[in-house]
Amino acid sequence: MNAVALLRLAARLLCAAVLATAWPAVAAPPPTQLITQALSVASNAERFPEGDPSAITVSLPDDWSDSQPRHDGGVWYRVNFNPGPSLDRTDLLALYVPRACSNLDVFLNGRRIHSGGRMADPVARNCHYPQLVSLPGGLVLSQGNVLDLHVRGHALQRVAARERAGGLSELRVGAYDELAALHADTLFWNVTAVQIASLALGMLGIVMTALAWVNRRDAPMGYYGLMAIGWALVSARLWWREVPLDNATVEFLICLSFTPILALAVQFLLSYAGVRSRMIEAALLAQCVVLPMSLLLAGPGRLFGMTGAWYVVLAAETLGAMLLHLHISWRDQRSEFWPMAITLAAAAIALAVEMAVQRGWLALPPAPRMQILLPLILIAFGVRLVVRRASAAAAPDASRFNMDARVREITAEIERNHAQLAELRIEQVTEKERKRIAADLHDDLGAKLLTIVHTSESERISTLAREALEEMRLSVRGLTGRPVRLSDALADWRAETVMRLGQANVEIDWKSLAEDTDQVLPARGFVQTTRILREAVSNIIKHSGASHVKVRCAISGLQFGLNIQDNGKGIPMELDGKLDRGHGMSSMKHRAKQMQGQCLVESGPGYGTVIRLTLPLGPEAPAAPAR
Amino acid sequence: MSNILLLEDLPEIRAWLKVLVHQVFPQAQISEAARVHDALELVSAVKFDLALVDLGLPDGSGVDVVAALREQQPEAQSVVVTIHDDDEHLFPALQAGAFGYVLKEQARELIAEQLNRMSQGEPPLSPSIARRVIAYFAAQARPQAKDTIPHVQLTDRENEVLLRVAKGFTLPEIGVQLNLSRHTIADYVKQIYRKLNVSSRAEAALEAQRLGLFGRSR
Repeated sequence: MNAVALLRLAARLLCAAVLATAWPAVAAPPPTQLITQALSVASNAERFPEGDPSAITVSLPDDWSDSQPRHDGGVWYRVNFNPGPSLDRTDLLALYVPRACSNLDVFLNGRRIHSGGRMADPVARNCHYPQLVSLPGGLVLSQGNVLDLHVRGHALQRVAARERAGGLSELRVGAYDELAALHADTLFWNVTAVQIASLALGMLGIVMTALAWVNRRDAPMGYYGLMAIGWALVSARLWWREVPLDNATVEFLICLSFTPILALAVQFLLSYAGVRSRMIEAALLAQCVVLPMSLLLAGPGRLFGMTGAWYVVLAAETLGAMLLHLHISWRDQRSEFWPMAITLAAAAIALAVEMAVQRGWLALPPAPRMQILLPLILIAFGVRLVVRRASAAAAPDASRFNMDARVREITAEIERNHAQLAELRIEQVTEKERKRIAADLHDDLGAKLLTIVHTSESERISTLAREALEEMRLSVRGLTGRPVRLSDALADWRAETVMRLGQANVEIDWKSLAEDTDQVLPARGFVQTTRILREAVSNIIKHSGASHVKVRCAISGLQFGLNIQDNGKGIPMELDGKLDRGHGMSSMKHRAKQMQGQCLVESGPGYGTVIRLTLPLGPEAPAAPAR
Repeated sequence: MSNILLLEDLPEIRAWLKVLVHQVFPQAQISEAARVHDALELVSAVKFDLALVDLGLPDGSGVDVVAALREQQPEAQSVVVTIHDDDEHLFPALQAGAFGYVLKEQARELIAEQLNRMSQGEPPLSPSIARRVIAYFAAQARPQAKDTIPHVQLTDRENEVLLRVAKGFTLPEIGVQLNLSRHTIADYVKQIYRKLNVSSRAEAALEAQRLGLFGRSR
């Protein structure tokens, strides 16, 4: 079934229904005569009972529940008409009866000219069918035509709905063409539109039930489909004329059908909101039994009263289910709330209007609007339900696509984390290994060097071993060390230099940086500088003969400068003009170069020595420890 | 000095140290140990005035011996004799109650002088150790560490001395700067070491209690 085509049809019908509501009275063309009074006699006679004393004049439309309470059977009406000046006798004339419930025969000037169907029980059910009776030209007199209408109907008490209670509407006599148009219009709205709507609803119901059958988990769809089918079937009461059952049975069956439909509606509302209650299900089932039993007990004569009472009960149940559903969907599924609320509000209004009509608070509408509007609402919502299910069925594809993307994302993240972890682990392992090497160096090499320091007979070997030990310790520190704050490094250098020079009785003038700095030296830079400084101090103590040393530090930009100046005798030149290698100048320069720095030595006999050390600072310094 | 404990695992170094200690303290009775276990037994049996303790030993760390001495013989002075000059190794020993440290590879005369000074109450203090002490007491003073009982604080003068040492000034230089005698500066340093030990012990006790509570609650 093409849902879109259905939707279009439904929309068109809805539009037409609204238009028909807005302009209900399609004005009859002027030449037609409106007949609103008739002589009425309650009688089942074959012919109009002439001279019956009970004959009274009634105004049309005549509602039996007002004029003949509890009357069940036939009523004769007699009206007179003259074709009049506007009506040419040669024109084809017609009688139009918008409503005669349940059936009628028409006599013109004593001759039967029309029968709506069976007049004996089971009487043809013509309540929703407008009747168009052509008035044969040969029978129409120029003056004083008598129209007798025999209406068979049922007392209000014996039907379930007011529109099926006996009665006759106003009559029109006029040109056939004009009245035929009126008739066709009313017939369309009263019957054809209802049939189309029921058909569409029924087919939709079948589709939905089939879908629910395929997908067993989709209970709401199943409930809705069955409810739609049920509603479509019950709509047959509006257009099925020749039912081979007597009125009491038919009305009873109609009433019977409403409890399952209501049960399905309630079940749909609850299951759609995700609620399932065994108690409610049991109550609904019980109701399907209790209602017919109560009707049977009351008997066919009190049908209308009983259905009126039941109508209130069923409407209350429906309203309760609607409110529960809306409450839950407001809480859990806000996106579903508004479409559902609008649908349910429309349905509730339709139910309320229907109740008002049945109670007699509102006049019978010219067309059974609820019988068109409600199916249209149901169709619209049903289509929406199907479309939603269809898109939900398509959703797994989309969600699988999303899932794939998500899986890829997560995989990438895991791989990243893994790589980071591996890096971290390598770092940890490296760190552990460095510590192990450091410990081994201390315990093994350190202990041996220490033994040499303290057991060697030769002072020179002791000194060498001590220096080797210091070198080893520095190497280990460079190996394991973290970057050192420059101010801390300066403090360490100062303390050591001052102590050593102090022991050698050399005066020292050390000026560190004016302010503390957060600059850091890489561990290797710290170690190398320590070595350079230590070498310089050793030179001063051993060779220079200086009595005074001046140390100055400075930071300019990303450069750190350290100047060591003594007043000693300077470093003697070698023959090639270079400074004496024995003073370790080349190793100092080499270490500085390793740090991307510079070590300049200025010296001359008689005016001491100046060592200018320049190092790059900062984390981007290439001297960052190679670890 | 009448009783001196000498804990050192390398025989040559132990022998050499013994000779040195004899020179510095000719009257002393020297008890030798090569393992932590032996040293702990000696500590529980003999009363010592001075203990020279190596840190890296085959069966553990000399820090345990320092702690045991501090616990059982508070009057005894522990001096760490080690090849490690970094505060990573020295600081725990100082926290445990060591009164100073001597680097093993130093010249005999230097070590002798340092031992002499320490025995006269003049412990050494390097800039890096001073920085560690400052950081330690700064952490103690933080609000979340308030529950450390007893709460030990350094005096302003002690802080002043520490800050200056941390900046690279020697103890005699600081004495000149603050117009204080060498003896007074030494007292400050001793006080700093004592407070470091007291605070560390309190902290350790608290930590043990906390761990104990956790252990019980499990």
